Amino acid sequence: MPALAAHSRSGFAACSGCSLCLLVCPVWRKTRDLRYTPHGRAKALQHGVPVAELKNSVESCTLCGACEPACPEIIDLVGMVLSLRRQLTAPAAVTMNDTNGKTANYAGQRVLLATPALRETVVALERTAKLLDCVVAEDNGADIALALEAGTPIANARRERFLTPLFSAKKIIAGDGLLARQLKDWLPLIEITSPGIALSKCSELRRHLRSDDLYVIEPRAFHANYDELVLYYDDLRHATGCAMNLDLQRIAIPATARNLRQRLGVEAEDNAAQTRWLLQGRKIARIVVEDAGDIAAFRQVVDMPVVHLAELANE
Amino acid sequence: MDTVPSFTPGHCPVGPDSLTQIKRLQTNPARWNGANWNDFAAALRAAGVELLESLAACGAFATDAGGTAYGMPHGVVIAKSAQQISALLKTAQQHCVPVTVRGGGLTTEGESVAFGGVLLDMTGMSRVKSIDKNAMTVRTECGIFWHSLAEELRRDGFDYLSAPLNLTSTVGGSLNVGGIDVNSPRLGCSADQAVALQVVTPTGEIVECSETENAALFQRAILGYGQFCVIAEATLKIRRYTPIRMHYFYYSSLRTAVEDLQLLDRNDASDYSGILTIMDSAVNLLVAFDSVERETAFNAKWRAQLRGHGELGFALRALPRYALRPWKLPEALYLWRRKQQLFPEFRRPEYVRDGLMQDRTVVFSRAVWKYWGSRQMVIPDIATSVEKFVNAVERGNAVCRKYFPHYTLYCVGIKLRDDHQPHYEMSCIPPDATGWAYGCEFEPMMDRVYSRDHLQSFKNEIYDIGVDIGASYYRFGGMMKGYIRRALGDAVVDRHLAMKRKADPNMILNRDVIF
Ligand code: SF4
Ligand code: SF4
Repeated sequence: MPALAAHSRSGFAACSGCSLCLLVCPVWRKTRDLRYTPHGRAKALQHGVPVAELKNSVESCTLCGACEPACPEIIDLVGMVLSLRRQLTAPAAVTMNDTNGKTANYAGQRVLLATPALRETVVALERTAKLLDCVVAEDNGADIALALEAGTPIANARRERFLTPLFSAKKIIAGDGLLARQLKDWLPLIEITSPGIALSKCSELRRHLRSDDLYVIEPRAFHANYDELVLYYDDLRHATGCAMNLDLQRIAIPATARNLRQRLGVEAEDNAAQTRWLLQGRKIARIVVEDAGDIAAFRQVVDMPVVHLAELANE
Repeated sequence: MDTVPSFTPGHCPVGPDSLTQIKRLQTNPARWNGANWNDFAAALRAAGVELLESLAACGAFATDAGGTAYGMPHGVVIAKSAQQISALLKTAQQHCVPVTVRGGGLTTEGESVAFGGVLLDMTGMSRVKSIDKNAMTVRTECGIFWHSLAEELRRDGFDYLSAPLNLTSTVGGSLNVGGIDVNSPRLGCSADQAVALQVVTPTGEIVECSETENAALFQRAILGYGQFCVIAEATLKIRRYTPIRMHYFYYSSLRTAVEDLQLLDRNDASDYSGILTIMDSAVNLLVAFDSVERETAFNAKWRAQLRGHGELGFALRALPRYALRPWKLPEALYLWRRKQQLFPEFRRPEYVRDGLMQDRTVVFSRAVWKYWGSRQMVIPDIATSVEKFVNAVERGNAVCRKYFPHYTLYCVGIKLRDDHQPHYEMSCIPPDATGWAYGCEFEPMMDRVYSRDHLQSFKNEIYDIGVDIGASYYRFGGMMKGYIRRALGDAVVDRHLAMKRKADPNMILNRDVIF
């Protein structure tokens, strides 16, 4: 399985079966079934189980990335799922953006690739752009992000049309953690960050964080760059006194648990148990999210203000 | 080996290759032959129990943390409820199918490996049922990882009392074998924290038990190595959470460090204590406190009596020792490299702030998996009375030196409860221990590949010390079960075997672990 090895920090063969990945995995929390965990997948592959038999497990992963900082064998667990998905047929096709619009030019600019959820949260989008002094890209690559997630092919022409305007950008602020991860490969010379991390550095926003806030870190970007960010967020937590969606290992607890089928819209979302677990026992008065995609999940289970981080600038 | 007590061959139904004067080999059990499996599988499914037979399901459980015992179950059942376990055990009794119970799989001698039959994965039952803030107890399903329990308790400002310093130990696993924390010198082993249990007997009865209700079963369930029941739920004592204040003292003598450890424990001078070493060259006595008051009292009364040094003082003393022995320079370099790896790990600012360690298990377990863990682990140990401990540690250390260039010792005491004596019988608690028992784990660093024979001989030599001095072992089951009879004697083993036969007529439950 050379595709796996190519993406590996370590490959599945390194899995010792320690089960540490279970402790942080939202799918484990939901199923309590080892087969739906990195441990289960790695062990199955070690025993020569055909990839097709792992389809349900591979599709169940939310790609939150929490298992990677937990894994002592430093296995590329997200890369492993992505690679397996590329070998399987996706549960639904991804509609690619094939329109040939005017080519933008972002030379020397900061560019925001807003997620669909952030685009819909208009106030948050405007404030994010203003606070980060960036332009909002017309082509946000949402279809590419979804294709990466589903493991479906991305035509070269589409990839080039998406990347060409970004080649000369000064900085890219990518809302989708998976897309950001891929962009680091595609555009290694450009600084790439997430809106959450960039916004959280704005003193104008930080001073509005309160000790009765729950600050919800976007897990994909955080876990992809865990070693650098863990202390950063811990300092932010101590400086502001707010609670965070960090567990005792300082790994982020995702607010949602969207599997591939749910991301592709072939299955209804079912985040309530995960969101409730995140909130359990916390004495908070407001929820501040980095990812606009979390807002709806919180509003479904709790009756308190839920705001996007950028919206704090208004206060 | 002439000091080993004589033994009468012929009476022992276990591990004949581990008897005195016979060359010891690994006692990896033979695989169960699968008789009646299809009938059993059909009956189990008819009883509404999901049985997984795929390679993906079975392969995940082929070995344990030790990575030296391999066995493939015929099928896996993921625990869901006491009723489901009951149906499984009843059907297994009828068809004489062995059932091996697994928690976190952190055994090293194959105790949680199914050599055929059913593997019951208890982690499927890992939900907290309720927290009683008045009684200061939690009721939980027993497949839960202690760390997951801590995550839940911490949301309410509580913590468990004591648990192994490993994030993936389960509550059920620890109740069965003991469970030792660095606060065990004060609070006892994890198994001592259980107030009440819901268990499923080998014949499928679901029974509540405690010191006052079905007490005999409770006594056999706790520290019972899974022989007399499957523990489904437990009520455990809890306490208010506190971060801890750590102090480290460094020694170059194992004996001195052990004596100081015992001094602290005897005088209740600290809340946490234990020894962690790099060979016998850098011996670290860790001492910690839940409160400023306890720390202040320690500083005032006991600190000056400890013979260990701070990091700098130790380094200054070590320098001339190595300067005068240039042939020991590789060891000095190893110590230096190890220090550079480990010290930052134990002080990571996201876990240790303002001198307070937020969660000891996170810090220790992450470090252990990162810097000690490997795909093969052997961790033989000896558990003794207070008086025998220094001798056991020194002799075990000599064995480590003989077999490995690099290794670690981990020593900790366990406060014993007089009223729990019946639980301790035929367990890791040695029969002659009073007040405290002490355990030492001898863990070689697998920084090169060792043959299984090398590892096995090493384990045998450590365990032989236990037999010689009259000790017990934390890990005495699985591939090392031949030692149980040698160390603890026929009378107690036969009594337990008779009880086991009565409780489990077809010897289906964890049959390869002890007897
Ligand atoms: S990426 Fe998230 S959902 Fe997927 S296995 Fe890792 S922790 Fe579980
Ligand atoms: S944490 Fe890593 S090594 Fe451990 S079981 Fe999970 S994937 Fe395997």
